[in-house]
Amino acid sequence: MGETFQALSAGFVNALTLPHLLWALVGVTLGTAVGVLPGIGPALTVAVLLPVTFSLDPISAFIMFGGIYYGAMYGGSTTSILLNTPGETGSIATAIDGHVMAREGRGAAALTTAAIGSFVAGTLATIALTFFAPPLADMALRFGPAEYFSLTILAFTTVAVLLGASVLRGLFSLFLGLALGLVGIDQLTGEARFSFGIPQLLDGIDVIILVIGLFAVGETIYQAWRHGRDEIHAVTLHDFTGMSREEWKQSWKPWLRGTAIGFPLGVLPCGGSVIPTFMSYMVEKRLSKTPERFGKGAIEGVAGPEAANNAAAAGVLVPLLTLGLPSSATAAVLLAAFQQYGLQPGPLLFSSRPDLVWTLIASLYIGNAMLLVLNLPLVGVWARVMLVPRPLLFGGILVLASLGAYSLNRSMLDLVILYAVGAIGCVMRVYDVPLVPAVLGLVLGPLSEQQFRRALAISEGDLSVFVRRPISAVLLAVAVAVLVGPRLLKRWLVPDARAAV
Amino acid sequence: MLDALTRGTFILRRSVLLGALAAWAASPAPVLAQTSGNPPGRASSAPAFNQLRIIAPAAPGGGWDQTARVMQIALQQAGLVRTAPVENIPGAAGTIGLARFIGAERGNGDAVLVSGLIMLGGIVTNESPVSLGDATPLARLTGEYEAIVVPAASPYQSLQELLTAFKERPEAISWGGGSAGGSDQILAGLIAEAVGVSPARVNYIAFSGGGESLSAIVGGQVTAGINGLAELAAQIEAGSVRALAISSGERLPGLAVPTLREQGVDVEFENWRSVMAPPGLDREDRERLEATIQAMVQSAPWRAALEKYRWIDRYLAGDAFARYVDAEESRVRAILRQFGTGDAKPRTLMSAGPYPVFVLAGLVFFALASMAGPLRGTRPTRASDPPAVGRVPHSEEGGPAERRSATPIGWLAAGILAYLLLAERGGFVVASAALFWFTARAFDSRRPYRDAAFSIVISVSAFLLFARVLQLSLPAGILAGWL
Repeated sequence: MGETFQALSAGFVNALTLPHLLWALVGVTLGTAVGVLPGIGPALTVAVLLPVTFSLDPISAFIMFGGIYYGAMYGGSTTSILLNTPGETGSIATAIDGHVMAREGRGAAALTTAAIGSFVAGTLATIALTFFAPPLADMALRFGPAEYFSLTILAFTTVAVLLGASVLRGLFSLFLGLALGLVGIDQLTGEARFSFGIPQLLDGIDVIILVIGLFAVGETIYQAWRHGRDEIHAVTLHDFTGMSREEWKQSWKPWLRGTAIGFPLGVLPCGGSVIPTFMSYMVEKRLSKTPERFGKGAIEGVAGPEAANNAAAAGVLVPLLTLGLPSSATAAVLLAAFQQYGLQPGPLLFSSRPDLVWTLIASLYIGNAMLLVLNLPLVGVWARVMLVPRPLLFGGILVLASLGAYSLNRSMLDLVILYAVGAIGCVMRVYDVPLVPAVLGLVLGPLSEQQFRRALAISEGDLSVFVRRPISAVLLAVAVAVLVGPRLLKRWLVPDARAAV
Repeated sequence: MLDALTRGTFILRRSVLLGALAAWAASPAPVLAQTSGNPPGRASSAPAFNQLRIIAPAAPGGGWDQTARVMQIALQQAGLVRTAPVENIPGAAGTIGLARFIGAERGNGDAVLVSGLIMLGGIVTNESPVSLGDATPLARLTGEYEAIVVPAASPYQSLQELLTAFKERPEAISWGGGSAGGSDQILAGLIAEAVGVSPARVNYIAFSGGGESLSAIVGGQVTAGINGLAELAAQIEAGSVRALAISSGERLPGLAVPTLREQGVDVEFENWRSVMAPPGLDREDRERLEATIQAMVQSAPWRAALEKYRWIDRYLAGDAFARYVDAEESRVRAILRQFGTGDAKPRTLMSAGPYPVFVLAGLVFFALASMAGPLRGTRPTRASDPPAVGRVPHSEEGGPAERRSATPIGWLAAGILAYLLLAERGGFVVASAALFWFTARAFDSRRPYRDAAFSIVISVSAFLLFARVLQLSLPAGILAGWL
C-alpha cells in the first residue's frame, strides 16, 4: 500500500507539469465534444488521433487519451438529458428520467447530478483501480462463457422494470431487438444469417445505428408529426449547482451504488456499458420507496446510471493495465496505442514502465476533476439549449445524427437503416411501445446466444455446466430472485402488515 | 471552447508545427528526427504522387488500419507522396472494402488497398463475389506468426502431450481463438489435418476479439489457445500462458519456443498483410506504384514503425507475390471447406437453429398480442401514461393547439430523400444543408432565409468538425476544392 502511494505521488508529480496538464485539457475537451456527438465515441476518436500523436512522447499522448476517454463518458449524458437523443448505449438509461426532468424545467438538476455522479464514480473507481486492480483482474479471469451467459440472463431481468403499462408491448419491443440481433454472421460458425445476400448486413446491425435511429431520428419525426407541441417549462436553477437540497439527498446514495455496480461490471468484457447502467437503474427502482416516480423524472434514475457508466469506464482499464487484455473497443484501441510506442501492456507493464502507468492513473484523477470544473459552470448554459427554436434544434439533431451514423462505416445502407429505424421509432412512440427493451434485445441477444453455445461447446453439450459452476449458479439464482422476489416478498409482508394494524 | 479546440487541432495537423510542439512538450521525436536523416536526393526530388489514397478495409484501430496509417506516415515523411489520406471501409472481414475497391477504383493509379490473409478467409466464408485475385497484387508487406499456447495451470507440458490427447478424442480439446474463418481457426485446421484428424472435428471456440479470446485462454476457460504472437508475447513473457509451438519456419530470435515443424507437425503459417492496386491498371501506373511501395519499405520511417509494432518484414513483390496469393487462397479454401464453412448449403428457417426460430416466433406472437390489445380497447389512457421509456407525459389533452398531420412528415421525407441522393454525389455539406432546411420546414418554420443561413453555417461547421478535427473522411463532393 505504501509503495502504491509512493508510485502514485510520483505519477502526480509527473502529470502536474504544465504541458501534461494542457494535454489533459485538450483530451477532456475533445472527449466531451465527441461524447456530445451522436455515434462518435472515444474508441473512434482515439483511433483516428493515433497517427496525429505519433511524434508525441507516450506520457503526453496517454494523458490526452485518458482525458478523451473520461470526457466522452461525461459528454454522452448531455444530449440524452436535454434532447432525448443518447448517442451511445451508455447513456440510454440516463435519458429515461433525465429527459422528463429536462421537460419539467429540471434539466440543470439532471445535468448536475450526472456531472457530480460521474465525478464521484470516476474518482472512486480510479481509487479502486489504483489499489485493487490485480485481485479484480483475477476475478474477471474466472468468468468463462457459462458465467457470461448467466450474467446476460441477469441483465435481461432489467427489462422487467422498463416494460411500462403493457407487458405485451414491452416484450414485443424486446423481441424486435432480439430479431434485429439475428442479422449477420454467426460468430461461432462464420455462417451468414438473415443477411439476405447484402454484404453490408454481414456484420449485423450496429447498435449505435439502432440507438440513434430510435431516439434521435424517431424523436424528430414524432415531434414534427405532432407539430412540436410538447410543453417545455422554463429552466429553474436552485443554486449554482442547479440541484435542490432534496435532490442532493436523493442523489448521493445512487452515486455510490452506481459506482459499486459499474466498476466490477466494467472489469468484465460483456456488452460495454449497457449492463452496468441498466442494472443500476433497476436497483434504484427496486430500492426506491416510490418506484412509481421512475420514468416520470426520478433523479435517482439519472444519478445511478451515470455513476455506473463512469465507474465501468474505469473498470475497463483494470484488465488492460494489469493483464494487457482489452475488454472494450476503446481498450482495444488503447492497446494499439501502447504498441505504437513499442510498449507491451500486460502483466509486466507495471514493472517495466511504472512512470507511464502511474502518470496515466494520476492524470485520470486530474482529468476527472478538470471535467467537473469544466462542466458544472456550463450546466446552466446547456440547459438553455432546450429553448433554441424547435426548427433549428431538430434540424441540427438530424444533421449530426446522419453524419455520425454515416461516419461509422461510410455506408449509405447504414443511413437507410437509420431512417427506417427512425420511422419505426416514431410509430412505436405513437403506440406507446417502450423503446429501450429493443436496444437491450439487440445488445444482449447475440451475447447471450453466443456465450450459451460457447459454454456448451466447451462442456461438449453438458447443460449442467450453468449450475455446476458456482459463479454462474449464483448469477442465475439472483436473476430468479429479481424476477419473483418482489412478488414473494409482498405476499409474505402484506399479511404481517395487516396483522400489525 | 470549440474555437480553442479547432485551433489546437489545426496545430496538431500541421506536421511542421508538430515538431515544434513536440519539442516544447520536452519530448524526443524519433520519427521526425529520422526523416530529416533521409537519403540525400530523395527529399529534393519531387514526390511520385501528389496524392495516394490508402484504403483500409477495416474500422480504425485494427491491424489493417494500423498498417494503412503507418504507410501514410512513412510515405509522407519519406517524401514519396505529398498526401496519403486513409479511408476506412470496414465490414465482413474486409470483403466490403475489397468489393468497393474493385468496383469503384478500376484503372485508378492513385489508390491502394491494404489486405491480407484474413481477407482470403472472409472471401471464402462470406462467399464473396470478388476475390483478392481480382485486384492487382502489389506486395506483401508484413507477416505475423501465430503461437499455440496453453494456460499456465494446464496439465499439458508440450505440444506432443496436447496432440496425443487431441488425437485420442479431438472434441475434448477446446481451442480458443479469434473469429470463425480467421487466421487462428485456419491454423487449428491445418494442425489437425497434419496430425491426421479431420478439421471438422476440431472443437474450435471462436471469440469475437483478440481481448476476449486472450481472456479465455489466460483464464483457463479453454484447453488451448491459438493467437497472433504479438498479442500473446506479453502473456508468454509474464508466464501467464505456456507457449508450446510457433508457426514460423525457423525459431525466432529471442523466443525460446520450438516451431511446429521441429515437433513433427509439418505446418508453416503466417498472418500476412499486403497492399493491392486496383484492377485494369496500365503498365506505367503499375510500375510507379510498385516503385513507390518498394521505396517505402526501405525508408527509415517504415523500418522504425516495424520495430515499434514488432512486425516482421515480409516484403515480397511482383509475380512472386501474385503466385503466393494464389497458393494461399487455395490452401485457405481447402481448409475452410473441411470446416464446413463457406459451403453453399440450402438455407431454410429451420436450419438456422432453434434460437432464431424462438426469437421470430416470439416477435410474431407479441406483435399480434399487443395489436389485439388496442382493438379490444384495453389501451391505457394517456393520463395514466406508463413510464414509457424515453417518452414523457404529454400535456396535449384537449389543447387547442393540438394538431397532427402528415404534412411535416412529407417535408421530412423530402429532406431525407435529398440527403440520401446528395450525400455521396454532391458532398456532405450540400446534403446536410438540404436536410437541415427541410427539417426546419417540417417544424412549421416560416422563415426560409433564416433557416437557409443556419443550414449553411451548421453543415459547414459539422463537416469541418467531422472531417478536419476528428479526421473522419467524408465525401466533400462539389465543394471539395474549397474546404
